[in-house]
Amino acid sequence: MTRTNLNRFGTLIAFVLLCIGFSIAAPAAFASPANVFNLVQQMATLAIVATAATLVMTISEFDLSVGFSASLAAVICFVLFGQGYDVWLAVPAALLVGIIGGAANGVLVARFGIPSFVATLALGTILSGFAFGLSGGQSLFQSVPDGFKSLARGDVFGIPVLGFWIVAVLGVAAFVLTQTEFGRRLRAIGGNAQAARLAGLPIVRDVIVTFAIAGGLSALAGLLLASRLGSVQHTMGEPLLLPAYAAVFIGTTASPTGAPTVAGTLLGVAITGVMVNGMTIVGVEPFVQKIMTGVIILVAVLLRRVGRAK
Amino acid sequence: MHKSIAALGLASILALGVSSGALAAGEKVSVITPFLAAIATGEMIEAFKAKATEYQWTVDVVDTAGDMAAFASRVEDATTSGANAIVLVSVDPAQIQDQVDKAKAAGVPVITIDGAKNASSVLNVTSDNYVLGETMTKFLFDQIGNKGNIVRFFYSAHPGVHQRELALDAALKANPAIKQVADHYVAVPGQVDDSRAAMDAMLLANPGDGAINAVWAAWDEPGIGANLAIEAAGRKGIVIAGIDGNPQAIDLIKACGAYIGTVRQGFGEMASIAAGELNTILAGGSAKADELYAPVELITRESLGVTCP
Repeated sequence: MTRTNLNRFGTLIAFVLLCIGFSIAAPAAFASPANVFNLVQQMATLAIVATAATLVMTISEFDLSVGFSASLAAVICFVLFGQGYDVWLAVPAALLVGIIGGAANGVLVARFGIPSFVATLALGTILSGFAFGLSGGQSLFQSVPDGFKSLARGDVFGIPVLGFWIVAVLGVAAFVLTQTEFGRRLRAIGGNAQAARLAGLPIVRDVIVTFAIAGGLSALAGLLLASRLGSVQHTMGEPLLLPAYAAVFIGTTASPTGAPTVAGTLLGVAITGVMVNGMTIVGVEPFVQKIMTGVIILVAVLLRRVGRAK
Repeated sequence: MHKSIAALGLASILALGVSSGALAAGEKVSVITPFLAAIATGEMIEAFKAKATEYQWTVDVVDTAGDMAAFASRVEDATTSGANAIVLVSVDPAQIQDQVDKAKAAGVPVITIDGAKNASSVLNVTSDNYVLGETMTKFLFDQIGNKGNIVRFFYSAHPGVHQRELALDAALKANPAIKQVADHYVAVPGQVDDSRAAMDAMLLANPGDGAINAVWAAWDEPGIGANLAIEAAGRKGIVIAGIDGNPQAIDLIKACGAYIGTVRQGFGEMASIAAGELNTILAGGSAKADELYAPVELITRESLGVTCP
């Protein structure tokens, strides 16, 4: 294998090595069909939130509100269920709130020039306040229709339903980013916003649309998570934020240019998912799990930088 | 990039090495909680591990630090990995019903400590949280002469804690001379620091003598945070009561400061009862009931034999 191929596929090879290592350590459990099923389910919501983060990072911005949007969408949906509303009304309403929240982020960033770190953190905090208020701080798990639960549970021909969501969402996102005019514009904005502006690209509109899509995807992830668990807490989406960006950063190590890609992000999600799942199965102490997960992320990104500098 | 492959490979080898001991023993019991950072939860898990050693079980403890999605995932992992039993601590299994149902379907008994009864779990060992809240609230109200202003530190996401809050709501209704002037939803983890910061703000917002007479803490750690704020501000005439019998809270009661009482949950007893019942279940028997209660005890200066100057 050439050095170029190693640079490109090194992260993928590392992922395969991880899988082989855990399969040897716990052959009956880790490599079992039931665990592969679990892994796909466990990675799905993170994959969707990480895709939202990938889109925003493509335009060289950050969206820190993704977890908050996920929580709020789930809370809104369950509150509407509690008031007797049907799935077909509650789910679109929750998604719409996510899209509106995302678009508001985009307006703050593109129209008012507020740094995305500040704008999305501020708006995310507002969203979390609404989630808290609507839920009363309580865990909601009553009056959940079976139709909603089936969004993220069960399987079709042995493939988990959430696996189809991963393929659909990430497939569309990858297609949009690589095969459409809109995707090329986003990469141009991320590569050099000033040049894109001088070239006459509709930067303000594209940035708002990108954040709106990210908000919608975050809301979708929150709904799928709520469907999988059958319960909602007003903080449930917040732990998705850091792993999502960790996955994107790991994914950039698999990208020839170092730019975020949907495929790379999926690989990052898979590495983090397999790490936690595998270490739990073989019984690694929780503190060691945290240390090792952090070390893996750091080593992957650091060595990529060192390799590129050479 | 050769190095990155080597590093990631090394990490997996390390993982296998660290895990080798965990695969060696007999019955494998997975203990999973989102709240290991809470002292009471830690106490229950340590007590359970001690009993598990007597029964020669291998115990894997997993903490998801408040992350319910990860909590659900780890329950799935435990089911898949062939655990002989799953013990959920400080959480209502209804919050991850699908995962608990799957564990039951796979023949893995699920028991909860400080949780809630559930059709798919075989046992919940807990204290009667409403009684805990009622006992502490009555004591606190008596201490301020059943009149004055209180502040509340709460966390409704925990079903047991919510029961205590319902007891406070009922007591407030029955005692109109007591007003709740502020409340704070406690952040977990980081509950002590978060509660201290909230109490700082409450003290500033209610500056006069008698503006706050008492702090109602749904469990001891927020009360400890509030105590820090009261000490730092030098405010007098405020008393605090909590629940759990946290050792630090008991020290504060002995120190004759603002902290005057706590209701001790028998966390060690809960864990011991749970381990004993699980031993019966693993031997092919059944639990005595689907819910068992550990005894509670009100701890005050009087009960501790402390005389304050």
